[in-house]
Amino acid sequence: MSMTGRERLLNALAGKPTDRPSVISACQYASYELMDATGASWPEAHRDAELMATLSGKGGAEIIGLDAIRAPYCQTIEAEALGAKIKSGGKTHIPSIAEHPCKLDDTPECPADFLERGRVPVALKAISLMKERYGDQVLVMGGIGGPFSIANSMIGITPFLKAMFKTPDKIKPFLEVGLEVAKKFGQAYIEAGADAIVIEDMMASLDMISPKNFRTLAAPYEKELIASLDVPVILHICGKLDKVMLDIAETGATAISVESAVDVPAAKQAFAEKGYKTAIIGDISPSGVLLSGTPEEVKEAVHDALKRGVDIISPGCAVAPSTPLANLKAMVAGALD
Amino acid sequence: MAKTAEELNKELADAVVDMDEELVGDLANEVIENGYDPLNAIDQGLAKGMDEAGKLFEEEEYFVPELLMCSDAVNTGIDILKPHIHLDDAGERHKIVVGVIEGDTHDIGKNLVKVMLSAANFEVIDAGRDVPPEVFVDTAVKEGAQIIMIAALMTTTMDRIADTINLIKERGLEGKIKVVIGGAPISPAFAKKIGADAYSINANAAVRIAREMLG
Repeated sequence: MSMTGRERLLNALAGKPTDRPSVISACQYASYELMDATGASWPEAHRDAELMATLSGKGGAEIIGLDAIRAPYCQTIEAEALGAKIKSGGKTHIPSIAEHPCKLDDTPECPADFLERGRVPVALKAISLMKERYGDQVLVMGGIGGPFSIANSMIGITPFLKAMFKTPDKIKPFLEVGLEVAKKFGQAYIEAGADAIVIEDMMASLDMISPKNFRTLAAPYEKELIASLDVPVILHICGKLDKVMLDIAETGATAISVESAVDVPAAKQAFAEKGYKTAIIGDISPSGVLLSGTPEEVKEAVHDALKRGVDIISPGCAVAPSTPLANLKAMVAGALD
Repeated sequence: MAKTAEELNKELADAVVDMDEELVGDLANEVIENGYDPLNAIDQGLAKGMDEAGKLFEEEEYFVPELLMCSDAVNTGIDILKPHIHLDDAGERHKIVVGVIEGDTHDIGKNLVKVMLSAANFEVIDAGRDVPPEVFVDTAVKEGAQIIMIAALMTTTMDRIADTINLIKERGLEGKIKVVIGGAPISPAFAKKIGADAYSINANAAVRIAREMLG
């Protein structure tokens, strides 16, 4: 019996049987070829709900054939709504933060009208359009930053990391605001029709911070955020995570999205010993395989990931926009045979 | 009794590893007051300390925040020692351009590479972050740099690095200007595919690669 992408992914997230392995892209998957194919391109699609819904929805569900579709593409929406100056990326780049909105000594706060600011309404509207058009076939996922990542986007990662040593008390208010912003945004996505939330806490990576700092400054806020969201939650963190995989599972996330730097068999075994059901999503390399490889190599990487115990196939991180469409399709094809 | 130059250098290295910016400042001043060789204090003190910190990073004892604190200490030391270096003593220093690819504003790795290279006595020209290909190439040509080091911290920006490499080819500078790339999303396979001369896994490796390239 063939399943819809939606049924397949929901089953996979719940640890139930599926007709074939589920394939999604936990992080952004818009590519230049996808823009050409859908007629919805950057930079307009960053600021226009209809175009965002078309590029993400049509592109993800119809053209690539993913089991879930998501918006937005970049990680600057929260920072912009909190007052950051944003530089447009034009057609070929994603928007970036030109100026952080706060200094370490400021007292940050979550604006009461956060949901009406900047591109927040655009992303919310896009999700509701995607739900309307594709909600019966695929899972619709709203993307937010993690509290740790939102907090450091407010003052910049370097001052933030230094303050973790020198004046840890000063970063707490930023983490609190990061949490409040993420909760608001996540709940608004759910009200707009999102079936699931993807939290990208990319800066809480062990490429950036120690396991100890992860446990004290990232995980507790992720846990509180996840508890506040009444839908399946995927937590994506980049890089090497072996030392904190159990801590991540203990945040209560339904699934963890990881890169190939993570030892998946070891994590699966550690989860099994603890009785954790957390699904692992990943870990097809966006640079080594999807961008640089052939469709055959992509399929091999999918087979290899499944062999290592990856539960749901996805690029390990955001898809580079010049990634060949044939490779994104091969990621789905790899799960068919 | 005054400390010997060797003792001070050792203390400088330890203070860098211990992330003690204030102590590094005091020790650097002591080097000057005693009339010891400031270049030697950078090379045998600060750079050794940073090298040790880099090793601790590779062993996953230190993480990026620790390296940032160490590099602040190195910078403080260099700022005090540098004005006392006679240019003749320093010899000719090789120039390296460092920067973050256009569209990417995550400059943490680039800044660490910069400190490591400076401590290793390279002259580093910092092109900053969000750097277009022509700025990388123009800067290297203007400064007479033989190496450009480009960082990308996001998978969504890394694919633009090829633009800089292609521009070097277009201008017939291939071989004259070498490109080293690095950053979290970059893999050796990707570096090879886009024609970079080398892939650097971290800031420590960047110094080793620069030394090899420049003999």
